[in-house]
Amino acid sequence: MTFDPDRTARVTRRFDASIERVFDAWLDPQKAGTWLFATPTGQIVRVEIDARVGGSFVITRREGNDDIEHVGTYLELDRPRRLVFTFAVPKFSTEATRVSLDFKALSKGCELTLTHEGVLPEWLDRTTEGWGGILSSLAGVLDH
Amino acid sequence: MRRETRVTELAEPFAMSLPAVSKHIRVLERARLVRRRRVWREHLVSFNPAPLEEIGAWVEKTRAFWSAQLDALDDLLKAEDAAAARKPDRKRSPQPTRPSKRGASR
Repeated sequence: MTFDPDRTARVTRRFDASIERVFDAWLDPQKAGTWLFATPTGQIVRVEIDARVGGSFVITRREGNDDIEHVGTYLELDRPRRLVFTFAVPKFSTEATRVSLDFKALSKGCELTLTHEGVLPEWLDRTTEGWGGILSSLAGVLDH
Repeated sequence: MRRETRVTELAEPFAMSLPAVSKHIRVLERARLVRRRRVWREHLVSFNPAPLEEIGAWVEKTRAFWSAQLDALDDLLKAEDAAAARKPDRKRSPQPTRPSKRGASR
């Protein structure tokens, strides 16, 4: 058994729309309010987007009597190629995660690769230390 | 049932002192990746894969979440295109006098 934990979720999607339109849909409050963090059962009741590096966003969805806030801070903003922000849903978890969007223009439309990195627990932050080998060794005991 | 091994045996292939190995094992115990029990003087440890499985579940859940989000984004853009096609003189059509800045609303 190899010990290779990876807390990264990646999704790639092609759009017919231009790279600028797809990029801007993340930062234009009016547009973002119609799709970002929306669900069929919830209603977006608040959208605040301060689209600059160091700026924050809050998008609140109402589900019944619950207001669910989605918050974050923009870390990189390079229109229309790259957008990186921290992301948390404080109601469910205080963990701050990181979302990176990489946009690539195609002859028609564009391709977006979204990478969402979760918080690495202490034991994953220590990849250079000895525990990785120890764990592999221990896990290997199972296979024999 | 997970197989157990002695800490001393586990430490053998590593160029580390037993206390150093023990320290790493404590990190793994806190992360619930390793269970340790003591039988007389012997410390027996076993591997618990559950936290790794939780990470796999998080990745799956997160991918499904963003896939749905990107579906919604694609729907919005397609709806905009359909609306623009119905009203060809609206802002989404190319403007002959200056480069299009459509969507740049900031």
